[in-house]
Amino acid sequence: EIKTKFPVARIKRIMQADEEVGKVAQVTPVAVSKALELFMIALVSGAAEKAREKGSKKVSAQHLKQVVEGDEQWDFLGEIVGRVGEGQDAGAGNGGERKRKGK
Amino acid sequence: MSDREFGGNDDLSLPKATVQKIVTEILPPSSGLVFGKDARDLLIECCVEFITLISSEANDISEKESKKTIACDHITKALEQLGFGAYVQEIMEVANEHKEQLKGREKKSNKLEQSGLSVDQLLAMQEEAFRDAAQRHG
Repeated sequence: EIKTKFPVARIKRIMQADEEVGKVAQVTPVAVSKALELFMIALVSGAAEKAREKGSKKVSAQHLKQVVEGDEQWDFLGEIVGRVGEGQDAGAGNGGERKRKGK
Repeated sequence: MSDREFGGNDDLSLPKATVQKIVTEILPPSSGLVFGKDARDLLIECCVEFITLISSEANDISEKESKKTIACDHITKALEQLGFGAYVQEIMEVANEHKEQLKGREKKSNKLEQSGLSVDQLLAMQEEAFRDAAQRHG
């Protein structure tokens, strides 16, 4: 489906940036690359959906954030998206729609 | 994080152009939507985090199996454990294709060895073939 490919060498480097990670089989970064592609499709599509719901033509970081906050599967991204919206939405309707997930 | 090794290298990120191309494939102009720069940059960070997460999990799995090398199987198991089991099938397909390609390359370089002939013999055969051709065309 997607023709553009990630640079496999770069993926391997990111993997090995973790000191705990040792050797990586030749096919492994290829597998990770595919996983990443599917991950991106999910996130981007999700964010696009959010944008459409809000009637916006531009998909923003906020929309990505909303996707992440809407599904436990993306919990590991919580910290990264948490930084979004700091000082941006000055008073813009944070309406009653926000669902807070209790832990 | 040691500054010495990576000293300012942006290489622990993904190339923006590549990410943008993929985003555009997912959301073509016909979708009527544009992916903002802020969203793209955030997406890149999420991608790197995803790679890191999978690697870490796969690494743990490989260690439990007393393996020193992270294999494809460790990646798929990691994905399943992290709730991304839906990705596994496609990944297996891609991985198998890749492994086939690798085998193909090996076969080529082994052709020489498998012919059972020494380099000298092969050279002699080549010269004979040239002579034949010369005779035919001469």
